Amino acid sequence: MNLVVWCVTGLLFAAGLAMTVLRRQLLAMLLGIELMVAAVNVALVHQACLLSDAQALAAVLLILAIAAAEAVVGLSLILRAFRSDRGIEAGGFTELHG
Amino acid sequence: MTLWAVALAGAVAVVFAGVMLFHRSLYVSAVCLLVVLLQTGVIFLLRGAPLLGLIQVMVYAGAVMVLVVVTIMASGGGAGDAPRFADFSFPRWLAFLGLAAALLEGALTLRGLGSAPVMVAAAPGLSAAFGQALFTSYALATEAVTLLMFLASLAIAPDREAV
Amino acid sequence: MTPAQIPLEAWLLFAAPVSAILFGFFVMRPLAPEKTHWPILLSCVIVTIASFRLALPVLMTGQSFDKNIWQWAVAGDWGVAFGLRVDGPGMAVLTMVAFVGSLIHFYAASYMKGDPGFSRFFLVFHLFFLAMIGLLTSNNYVQLYLFWELVGLASYLLVGFWFHKESARKAALKAFLTNRVGDFGFLLALLFILSIFKTSHFNQIYFLVDKGFHLEALPVIGVLLLWAACAKSAQFPLYFWLPDAMEGPTPTSALMHAATMVTAGVFLLVRSWPLISAVEWLPHLIAAIGAFTAVGAALIACTKKDLKRILAYSTVSHLGLMMLALGLNQVGTAVFHLFTHGFFKATLFLCAGNIAHALHQSTANVDEVGGFRKAMPWTYACFLLAALSLAGVWPFAGFFSKDAILDAAWHHGGVYAFVGPLISTLSAFYIFRMFFLTFHGSRQEQKGLSAHPHEAGFGQVAPVLLLAIGALVVGPLRHGVTRLMFFGFQGLPTGWPGVSGTLNLPGEVFLPEFNWAVFALGTGMAALGAAGAYYLTMVDAGWDWRWRGGTVERVFESDFGWKKVVDAVVRGVVGFARFVGGVLDKTWWDGLIEGGASSARALSERLSFLSAGRLNDSLWWMAAGAALLLGRALR
Repeated sequence: MNLVVWCVTGLLFAAGLAMTVLRRQLLAMLLGIELMVAAVNVALVHQACLLSDAQALAAVLLILAIAAAEAVVGLSLILRAFRSDRGIEAGGFTELHG
Repeated sequence: MTLWAVALAGAVAVVFAGVMLFHRSLYVSAVCLLVVLLQTGVIFLLRGAPLLGLIQVMVYAGAVMVLVVVTIMASGGGAGDAPRFADFSFPRWLAFLGLAAALLEGALTLRGLGSAPVMVAAAPGLSAAFGQALFTSYALATEAVTLLMFLASLAIAPDREAV
Repeated sequence: MTPAQIPLEAWLLFAAPVSAILFGFFVMRPLAPEKTHWPILLSCVIVTIASFRLALPVLMTGQSFDKNIWQWAVAGDWGVAFGLRVDGPGMAVLTMVAFVGSLIHFYAASYMKGDPGFSRFFLVFHLFFLAMIGLLTSNNYVQLYLFWELVGLASYLLVGFWFHKESARKAALKAFLTNRVGDFGFLLALLFILSIFKTSHFNQIYFLVDKGFHLEALPVIGVLLLWAACAKSAQFPLYFWLPDAMEGPTPTSALMHAATMVTAGVFLLVRSWPLISAVEWLPHLIAAIGAFTAVGAALIACTKKDLKRILAYSTVSHLGLMMLALGLNQVGTAVFHLFTHGFFKATLFLCAGNIAHALHQSTANVDEVGGFRKAMPWTYACFLLAALSLAGVWPFAGFFSKDAILDAAWHHGGVYAFVGPLISTLSAFYIFRMFFLTFHGSRQEQKGLSAHPHEAGFGQVAPVLLLAIGALVVGPLRHGVTRLMFFGFQGLPTGWPGVSGTLNLPGEVFLPEFNWAVFALGTGMAALGAAGAYYLTMVDAGWDWRWRGGTVERVFESDFGWKKVVDAVVRGVVGFARFVGGVLDKTWWDGLIEGGASSARALSERLSFLSAGRLNDSLWWMAAGAALLLGRALR
């Protein structure tokens, strides 16, 4: 069981990392980040239930909430970026502008 | 039995994650991520953290990811270099796979409602301790996160210029 | 001897010219440039008087001194000191230089009047004068080298005085560079002297050589010093700058290239005589070079058409005579010939200057002159006096010096005995050819020339006259000059009074005072030469133009082919320099450096993708870094 969960976690985390690093669209990067957070959540929950650690579960809930907030903020930023002239892909954002 | 269920959910999650990574259409990737998060919720349920599993399914997969998917659809589907996906089509075999996985997991769960439960029972007092932890040791953190979510909602307030 | 005991005249020798130059440059030149010569002429007078007053005690009692005044370059307990040496050879030449030089300064005041570079001329001319004084009173080789170089610099500035003319610029550069080649020899000799003798002061070196130290180094040093003297005194193979140096104004030619600068080379050899005579074969080499140059230059002088160039080649020939005298171990005779040569050659040059000035040119050609004796009587008289002196006719001064050399050559026997009379004949020939072509012969109008010459003004005639009289009367000074030579070579202690006495010069050979046979031979040869000149210019007047054109003239024009050799050498050196500069430096070395720069640039361009600002690349590096840290942490 441990092995299965850790494998799943690892694979999901790697997939999320790859998504963030390799894909050029900003929204794709956001998806990758969300996946990474989810993978970590899986591992945390598994261990917390094994060790009956309630505080860890509380931490997972907080992480969940923060990830949701972050997704929303990220989305709005990306929408803002869409409206600028620099395109919707990371290739356009190579310099700091105003 | 739990092991098989978790393994199934995990395998489905990994498969959909792989598809998400490699598919050219952003819409398809977003929907795959949605499915992955659902599977993760299932894993939470199976491991004995029902509250978290439900929250994951409702909030994370249900609200946040749907928001993302809708945004993607509204911004043209991210199909800049793959115009054939601009019509938000979802690969049929993938849909079948997801449906099959859901049916299978449902069957497994229902089967465990009898004698041998699939879900690991939550440790007694874990939920109570969970709630207690939230509002005593992590009280400040909880309030902060709540505030954060209020503030995040400001992010979607439209600009004065933009409508 | 403390600086306070150095006589006032010695200080004045330097103080007067230096202050005249400074005053002239900073005060006169901006305010009243056409009067720049006043302080300078005053300084000339002071210097002449001072030099005579200094020379007199040396002549009478042999009291001379050699005193270090100032440590110039000191490194620990080793250093070069600058000082003053007032002794026989120095004073002998200095009196002539001061007197002749002052008269030429006065001449130049009226010759150069109206020239736009008048004040510059006088300042540089006086700078040269100062440098010559310094050269003659140096007490060590380093100081002598310093003034040697300064003299060369003044020569460059004066030969190229009319720098608008390309020929003058080229001639100045040729003079300077050829002297530089010789100076290189001097520098090497200096370095040898400093490293072997550990000192460069004359009295110390004389002492060491006298005791027999370091004799094995002397051949090299002697040859290098001879090389330097050949460049400065225009001997073969480095004489070719002197005829071209006639591009300078006539006072320059008179002072530098007749009387003083070119004698610096001979003076250097005189100063180094103890070293040179210690090597057995070196005086023979000097005599051979001198004789060869004397004959060759005299031959070429017979064929030249430009007045100043005839005189230039004549100077080369007479310098060869001085070298010959030195080589025959007759140091006193050589210096005396230097002395008299200064007088008559300067006179001849100034007369040529008068003629050129009368034609409103910078120099004159035999084709443009003729029959001037009625129009310019004073110049005619002076020229005749000087010509007779040059030809070595008794009782002119030139006779006494030339006769002594002929004497020595005759007694030496061998080829020199033949060379002496040959030179007499050739000298007489070329100078009287010049004389007859310029002052006798058909008048200008008959030749179709339009210029009307008139005698030059007082300012130009008076100095020439004094010099010509000098060329007549200084003959009896031979004894004095020779005696002065005695007071030069023992290692003088630096105390006053110095050691006096009649020590023999190393290698000086005593000759009977007067030899009727040589007298007759010399005078006869001179008469033959003069008669030949008369015949070929007055009687058979077309001779001078008949043989021209064709191979013979080409041979003489190129100095028997030596000029072609020099051109080839220069071309080779320039080609080598071009190779080093163009190929080695520009292509290889610059290419190497540029290659380094360009490869760095290419590398940075290749690597610029790292900082392209792409988000994905940054994320990739972040992930890699985090994985690395994680790996370390988990270990």
